[in-house]
Amino acid sequence: MLKLFFINLLCIVLWAHALPVHGVKTLLLYDSKITDLNEYSKLFATLQKRSYKIEFVAIDDSNDQFKLYDGEKRLYDNLILFPTKSRTISSNFDVSTLLNFSEDGGDVLTITSPGGLNDAVRIYLNQLGIYPSPRDSKLVDYFQKGASDVISISTSEVLNRNVFSEPSMELVYSGSSALLGNGELLVPILAAPRTSFNTNNKGDRWTVGSQGYLIAGFQSLNNARTVWIGSDSFLKDDVFNSNGLFIEDLIKWNFREKAVIKSVGFSHSHSNGISYDEHPYKVRDSIVYEVGFSEWNGSDWVPFITDDVQFELRMIDPYYRLTLNASRQTKDIQYYTTGEFKLPDHHGVFTFLTDYRRSGLSYVTEKDVKAIRHLANDEYPRSYKITNAWVYLSSIFSVIFLFSMFLLVYMNAPITENVGVEKKNN
Amino acid sequence: MKAEVHTALCWARVLFKTIIIISIFGAAISSRLFSVIRFESIIHEFDPWFNFRATKYLVSHSFYEFLNWFDDRTWYPLGRVTGGTLYPGLMTTSAVIWHGLRNIGLPVDIRNVCVLFAPAFAGFTALATYEFTREIKDANAGLLAAGFMAIVPGYISRSVAGSYDNEAIAITLLMLTFMFWIKAMKTGSILHSTFAALFYFYMVSAWGGYVFITNLIPLHVFILILMGRYHSRLYSAYTTWYTIGTIASMQIPFVGFLPIRSNDHMAALGVFGLVQLVGLGNYIKGNVSSKRFKVVLILSLVVIIVVGVSGLFAITFLGYIAPWTGRFYSLWDTNYAKIHIPIIASVSEHQPTAWPAFFFDNQFLIWLFPAGVFLLFLDLKDEHVFVITYSVLCSYFAGVMVRLMLTLTPIICVSAAYALSKLFDVYLDFSELWSTTGAADVLTPSDPQAAGTAEKRPPSKISANVSAAATSSSSSSSSRNGFLMVITKLLVSGTFLFYLWLFVYHCTWVTSTAYSSPSVVLPSRNPDGSPAVIDDFREAYYWLRMNTDEDAKIASWWDYGYQIGGMADRTTLVDNNTWNNTHIAIVGKAMATSQDKAYHLLRAHDVDYVLVIFGGVLGFSGDDLNKFLWMVRISEGIWPDEIKEREYFSAAGDYRMDASASSTMKNSLMYKLSYYRFPELFDGQQGFDRVRSQTITVDDIGTLDYFEEAFTSENWMVRIFKLKSPDHLGRNLHDVAKLNMEQSLGVKKRLVKKPVLDLRV
Repeated sequence: MLKLFFINLLCIVLWAHALPVHGVKTLLLYDSKITDLNEYSKLFATLQKRSYKIEFVAIDDSNDQFKLYDGEKRLYDNLILFPTKSRTISSNFDVSTLLNFSEDGGDVLTITSPGGLNDAVRIYLNQLGIYPSPRDSKLVDYFQKGASDVISISTSEVLNRNVFSEPSMELVYSGSSALLGNGELLVPILAAPRTSFNTNNKGDRWTVGSQGYLIAGFQSLNNARTVWIGSDSFLKDDVFNSNGLFIEDLIKWNFREKAVIKSVGFSHSHSNGISYDEHPYKVRDSIVYEVGFSEWNGSDWVPFITDDVQFELRMIDPYYRLTLNASRQTKDIQYYTTGEFKLPDHHGVFTFLTDYRRSGLSYVTEKDVKAIRHLANDEYPRSYKITNAWVYLSSIFSVIFLFSMFLLVYMNAPITENVGVEKKNN
Repeated sequence: MKAEVHTALCWARVLFKTIIIISIFGAAISSRLFSVIRFESIIHEFDPWFNFRATKYLVSHSFYEFLNWFDDRTWYPLGRVTGGTLYPGLMTTSAVIWHGLRNIGLPVDIRNVCVLFAPAFAGFTALATYEFTREIKDANAGLLAAGFMAIVPGYISRSVAGSYDNEAIAITLLMLTFMFWIKAMKTGSILHSTFAALFYFYMVSAWGGYVFITNLIPLHVFILILMGRYHSRLYSAYTTWYTIGTIASMQIPFVGFLPIRSNDHMAALGVFGLVQLVGLGNYIKGNVSSKRFKVVLILSLVVIIVVGVSGLFAITFLGYIAPWTGRFYSLWDTNYAKIHIPIIASVSEHQPTAWPAFFFDNQFLIWLFPAGVFLLFLDLKDEHVFVITYSVLCSYFAGVMVRLMLTLTPIICVSAAYALSKLFDVYLDFSELWSTTGAADVLTPSDPQAAGTAEKRPPSKISANVSAAATSSSSSSSSRNGFLMVITKLLVSGTFLFYLWLFVYHCTWVTSTAYSSPSVVLPSRNPDGSPAVIDDFREAYYWLRMNTDEDAKIASWWDYGYQIGGMADRTTLVDNNTWNNTHIAIVGKAMATSQDKAYHLLRAHDVDYVLVIFGGVLGFSGDDLNKFLWMVRISEGIWPDEIKEREYFSAAGDYRMDASASSTMKNSLMYKLSYYRFPELFDGQQGFDRVRSQTITVDDIGTLDYFEEAFTSENWMVRIFKLKSPDHLGRNLHDVAKLNMEQSLGVKKRLVKKPVLDLRV
């Protein structure tokens, strides 16, 4: 009882302070040679207002003073990496550190710039399928007014509505661009204008037109998110008036304050409510499948409303793919149901699967493997209920009847002397 | 006074017979216990593990549940309608025994019931053989046949303790059915015929080999009709047996409508029709003149043959009758299976028999057998025709398939016993020594045993000759000839008694050396010569049972499916039931393709672990690499453009594993899993495979990126690999492994090159 009380208390405390769904402890690594933190005060102010606990670590002088892990334990929930001038961050921080951190569920915000892109971050981003332009090459656009390397782009160009869906506004961007692979886990957020290209002073082109990206996100299979921004000036105070709202939403997405959904479990049963355990499914049974979804709105779990949740009944291949309909709703859960449907006329071990993966939203997979048995020997319709069988039934009974009639006649007929037929002939 | 002596002798005979039969029972059971004494009370080989698992299911559930058992732990994800696709006779019998023992206060473990099932039924087989042979000749021959049957290795090979297979009960039922059939055919008794049908039903419920009875009995009837030996007794026996037997056999779910739909059963139906026609013909023959009858006969024969043959073709063509099964074709053309159905050819017990096996399994019976058949020809009674037909058919079948040696063995015993008993009738008959009145009394029934036999059969040619010689000699120099005769008799019977002794010796030796190994546990010797046991299979299966998730799916070649199901209790993809060739081909394809393709194929089937058998360390030649070509062939049958057998041979066309192996071979999953870390056992660079006598180097094996080693047994015989979970960043696991390798080697790429990417749309 006491334990329960403490858990409740803990929940309340967490609820009061924490906005992201997974944690607020944040480590920020920066290079004081090229980054002056005072230029980002507005950004940090918004973060701290949302109760993030940020630890600032400059990597140049205090090389080994930060730790991401204490033994096996992850010390931070989020990691913000500012551009660094040196190629390495520290001796104990390389690409595998970043990969492990992400695999453990940590969210990473990487900010690179034409002047600061270290190997660990670059290789990490490459593993995700993001290929930022190398040092000393930057995005330019000669079709724009003003300076060719300051690009103004509208938020109506944002590629993912789950990341940013506010009314359009102008963003000011100056920095690198990246090529993106075709991985399904990538979430492209902002593409470069069609008239821009990325070049260095030797004239090598890295990206051309809208094949280049300014900001890209990535959500790994464990729902950890990474965002890459190719410009540190994008976050600075002097452009925060125009970029601020977008940046706020971007970080909200990155650190899982928004676009986070979860399933609160699924259930399936016979359409009359009897569960599988009481009565295992057999072919052509009528069943109901239901799954509930919640969405994190920044402070609470609320019902997640959508119309594209699908359910699959698979045995290697899907036998059914049904779009679920919204059914009942509670304070924090929206349930989706298949309604009554008939299992296929095929026995086997089937997977009851809801695999909801939408770009920008957390992935939800609910899987249940259940056997659907064949009809037992006494579950087929009886022969006399099948009209076609009457022919055979009547023939059986007529043969029985006629045979007994024959026996009656034969036994009551007078015996005539019949000499052994075989004897005579052999 | 004389009558009293006679009854006393009769009682003595009964007593002797009982003692002999009890001893035969004892011999039959005890000679099958080597495996239990040497190893332990354990189920053997592969199929018995399934039967054991099914029996356990039956004793822990109701019969209704067993009959409708849907097994979701095999053939994942298809599942198997096990209740409807097995022969329940064996399991039901042991469940009845188990319940029976419990009810009389003997709670025996079901495993022990199963282990000792075969030896117990071997005793009954001997008894049935005794009855059968008694119908063919007499009780003497019967006792000999029973003795042979009890210890002949050809039968022991499938019925040692622990060999809990369908054949264990099927041979008993085979002999019982035949015994009742012979009785019914001789007497025309409906009772015996019904018994034959009931045992036939029992046989159908126990073994797929029932088709042999289904065809042999009609063939016997057909030959008798051709020989002009049709009789109303035959009619009543056959029609009763056929109708009851067929209707009864259709009650087994697995058989269902086969008796009226499959070509394998058409002979029985055809003969059933023929018997009616012949019966009708016989009746007409008795009522019309022979001249007219000839016309009727010829006309009706032509009509019947034309209608029958064309009808059979027509309904087969239209699909009402299932065409002959592949196993049937492979009986006639030994190459058929190799070309068309690799899955059948891949089973070692479907291979043609090697000639020495006949002697190995039957010893001196194999040359007494043709002598017995010859003697049966001399004395061609209706029941002898049966034995002859059986012998001829089964001799052929046993030559085609090793496993059918089992069905040949009983008739070898019967024929050999017939021959030997004929011989002993003459040469072991010393009754004249007692008779003081001379040779004239030789044939008088002074010996009760001879009397018993003399009543039953007309004197055969041999004994007639002997008696003629005896009578002629008595007149001249009776004492000298009598002495010579005794010497001859002693010599001949002594020789054969010596053969018998040798036979017993041989049987015991063969049983103890060749047929008593459980094959789950392998006997071996330590370097110092002391016996050791290689227990890798059980070690690995228990590892699976203890360390993996209860619902883990294990992919392995089908040979090990039943054992994994029985010992490790984990879900398998394919097993020895081999009902779905495509599913087996999927596993074959996974083993034969490169690891990345295999990985995706196996993941699509929710596989968690892959199990391979590797004999290279120990020199165990029955390992997966030696079976690998069958996997290739079976999957090539389904995906001919993806898997090509030729690509698995070296450039010179050899099946090699060393440096000269083809790249397809080296990249195949089976190769990689088998040899993964193998050179580490040696110097770390190259290992020596003791099965194939080839050197395997580290470079041949390459890296294993998609699987990780989970378990390797003590002697490396069983290796279990776990499928790595997919990379959380969505990369392919080969790239992950490459990156990790580079990281650990400290490779730094300073130069940033523009990646080659597809256009992003």
